[in-house]
Amino acid sequence: MKESEKIVSSVQIEEKKRAKEKIQLFLISAASVIVFLGIWEAAVRLSWVNSQFVCSPSEAFMAFVDKLTQPNPDGAVLGVHIWESLKLALIGYVAAAVIGVPLGLLLGYYHTFDKLVNPIFEIIRPIPPIAWIPLSVIWLGIGTTAKCFIIFLAAFVPCVINSYTGVKLTNSVLIDVAKTCGASRWKIFITVCTPSAMPLAFTGIRVALGNAWSTLVAAEMLSATAGLGYMIQQGRALGRSDIIIVGMLTIGVIGAVLTAVLNKLENRVIRWRAK
Amino acid sequence: MERRKLKDICLTCISLIALVVLWVIVSNSKPDFFPTPQATWERFLKMAETPISKTTIIGHILISLKRVLTALVLAVASGIGIGLIMGWSKKMNAVLGPILTALRPIPPIAWIPLVILWFGVGEFSKVLLVFIGAFFPVVLNTATGVSMVDPMYLNVGRVYNANTFQMLCHVVMPAALPAIMAGVKIALSSGWMVVVAAEMIASKSGLGFLITRGNESYDVALVLCGMILIGLVGAILSAVFTLMERWLCPWMEKKNG
Repeated sequence: MKESEKIVSSVQIEEKKRAKEKIQLFLISAASVIVFLGIWEAAVRLSWVNSQFVCSPSEAFMAFVDKLTQPNPDGAVLGVHIWESLKLALIGYVAAAVIGVPLGLLLGYYHTFDKLVNPIFEIIRPIPPIAWIPLSVIWLGIGTTAKCFIIFLAAFVPCVINSYTGVKLTNSVLIDVAKTCGASRWKIFITVCTPSAMPLAFTGIRVALGNAWSTLVAAEMLSATAGLGYMIQQGRALGRSDIIIVGMLTIGVIGAVLTAVLNKLENRVIRWRAK
Repeated sequence: MERRKLKDICLTCISLIALVVLWVIVSNSKPDFFPTPQATWERFLKMAETPISKTTIIGHILISLKRVLTALVLAVASGIGIGLIMGWSKKMNAVLGPILTALRPIPPIAWIPLVILWFGVGEFSKVLLVFIGAFFPVVLNTATGVSMVDPMYLNVGRVYNANTFQMLCHVVMPAALPAIMAGVKIALSSGWMVVVAAEMIASKSGLGFLITRGNESYDVALVLCGMILIGLVGAILSAVFTLMERWLCPWMEKKNG
């Protein structure tokens, strides 16, 4: 056997080994999920736990199928709840990203502006968005506006902070090169600082999404007549654990889907980072 | 340099004064919607003297703090343990990974109805909720930190014949500590948010309860006092944590520049 052939075959063996390991790990994962669901199902069926407190996975699935068409017992079908929540979350969230990211970028770039706005921001920042709920209800009523405002607050802070930090961390060599080439301040901001801040800005946008989604649930639990948070709160009032679990899982799945969509968008906008 | 500093201080003062002026104007035009600074201050003094729902204001702060810190200690201890196992062994990661991935996107606040259904509205429920909020960031950051330890360090450990325990304690843990601390920091702020939410939704004590109480009795000044206290205590917590981080991993400072 020639030297080169030997190398090729060892590479192939290594690849095969890896593929085998991957399959093995996948099987372990699948087994773990099945065992988990099995224990859960058995625990309810054999009444190791009180079935009032938790429903079995099969019951949860049945409740999910049921909820697609059945508005009882909480007044709306699942689709309506989802639409209601998504609408609120997206309005507040998009507004926060559209206002927060440019504001953060400008704050990071213009020193005077930064010193002027920063103290106010530092005072407001540590108050959790949920603590704003009563005040915003007094100001804006219990309608859509109040909830959008709270979600806006929740998403706004991470957008601003991360864009701000992104601009601050711009490599000063890049700025100096642009200055040497005679770029104006504004041009440096647009063509150097903004693109270099984008990866961090996107981190902020991603954190903001998680914040917005979980704040939405809290807002709907405190004051709403529809939406996923309202649905699980009603489930508790009625003692229906299957409704609660379906609601929780739906909230989780939608949150995960939104994050995945955002990651796709991020990869498209920041193509250069993949290298 | 001196002049620049002076200018910065002036700008900060201007912005703070503008905030107060804005507050005075808004609150004087609509005192029912937004209490004036004097009203807020008076409410605060009154709150410091007379107990609300049989607990003094210090008591409310301490109750909230106790809930957060108990849950945080439990979450950090168990989260680092499980995260270490998951980051170290690919097989354990395959076992626990899918279940954690399925549970992680559910916001801790969405657990409130289920936890109340299971354990009632007692102290344990609140600690459990904060635990849920704090546990996931710690586990995920620990697991990522451990699996991203420079292979060179691991090889050096192996060359020196370290056993698994020595590897974990002397090589992996110190290398992953910055990532773990970042996770604990997220856990702290998330835990603080969850405790406020839990106290607002179902409680008879704590800072979140003050807001709800103010809301129910149309006492906007009390709501504002509660919000300010929550922000203040949260800010102090995160400042204390930053000091602790500096003390625990001093080499981070150099890296951040």
